Amino acid sequence: MALPQPLRPGPTPYELEFIASDELIEISPSFSMERTRLIHGIIGPFRPPGKSKVPLWLAVNLKLKRKCNIVPPDWLNVEYLQERLAEETSSPAFSALPFRFAEIAKVLLDVAADDLALPDKIRSLLKDLREARQSKSRDGLKKLDHIQLEMANLCSMEINELRPFFVKAMGVFTKLQTDSQGNADDQAGGQDMDFSW
Amino acid sequence: MDYSDDFDAVRATSSTAWEDETEDIGQTSLQRLTRWWINERGAPDILVWQAQLVEELLDSLHNQATMVQHIRSDPRTSEQEHFRVVLVQTEMERVKFLIRSYLRVRIHKIEKYAGYIMREPGVQVKLSSGELTHAQKYYDLISKYFHSSALEGLPENMRSLDEQLPNGRSMITEPDKDRGVFVRARKKCENVRLPNGDSLTIEKGSIHLLRYRTVEDLVARAEVELI
Repeated sequence: MALPQPLRPGPTPYELEFIASDELIEISPSFSMERTRLIHGIIGPFRPPGKSKVPLWLAVNLKLKRKCNIVPPDWLNVEYLQERLAEETSSPAFSALPFRFAEIAKVLLDVAADDLALPDKIRSLLKDLREARQSKSRDGLKKLDHIQLEMANLCSMEINELRPFFVKAMGVFTKLQTDSQGNADDQAGGQDMDFSW
Repeated sequence: MDYSDDFDAVRATSSTAWEDETEDIGQTSLQRLTRWWINERGAPDILVWQAQLVEELLDSLHNQATMVQHIRSDPRTSEQEHFRVVLVQTEMERVKFLIRSYLRVRIHKIEKYAGYIMREPGVQVKLSSGELTHAQKYYDLISKYFHSSALEGLPENMRSLDEQLPNGRSMITEPDKDRGVFVRARKKCENVRLPNGDSLTIEKGSIHLLRYRTVEDLVARAEVELI
């Protein structure tokens, strides 16, 4: 099979992580290296203690070889996430987080927890955020119809999680809509019959 | 010998290319193909084959491979250069994965909609020549198989594979363009026609759940991306 069954409904979390790994992140390398051409573009030169921006996958690669420290993005710290969580629980809208925050945060917590301040606290904040947002997106289901739904500030991982159910629900709405248009008369007749029993 | 030129040779793309996901200008072919891969995964229909992007990436892969070979075959290559080669190779594997995934999702759709593709010349132009040949061969094989395994035993008038039933349903699997898709606008799109006749303005960066039919043209013009 060209595309295995589990991949058909949409991208998997691993594939989303693969995409997020192309985003740039700052590292402070512990070795020096000349400029290197990748298909992406140019990386380096690395001149410790200077910092450099590289794609996340490269940062992870170097980190695992203990050749760099990762500078956490400015949204991945306790204060910022606490503010977002407060926003999340006090207002009905979704707070603005980077589109691929879940993937990036997971990767960084996995490989570079020692570069983060209070990683455990961050982990639990991310979990709280996730739960708060999840219950909101379930509420959002009420607004779903067969035409359109705007979902401001939803993140890539969340959309992926909602996708199967939302798409299916929309399909059911669409079907009901076309059925009721197509058989408006029959249905009225049929219903009368049913009630007369 | 100094290989820094090999690594260095600056290409048109600069390192700022990563900054804004929603702008086409300055986006590398890698980012653009990633987007088309995800579009293809999300769209029920088959999209236009991105010949230029794939070609560019295959070229880049070829160049990188030549450079890697060149450096590895030289005994004077230093430890540090070997390390850089490993990074280059790691990236090459990522790019290969991307291209393969893109091709795989297309092959999946081609096989699923083979009959539809053979019937609609408008869809055939969206395929590369290799894909079209595959679609043809696949459809021929499948039809032959159905005929030899079952259809030959049926009365003549029941043997067709492309029958249209009176209620409009067809034996040919067609993409369900009314399926919902999640889109993110890459620019402001005005007057998007909704199925109920209303029009909608999609702000840049906003995320919507819409029927694929509604955004089909916007996806093709890369004004929105599927997510």
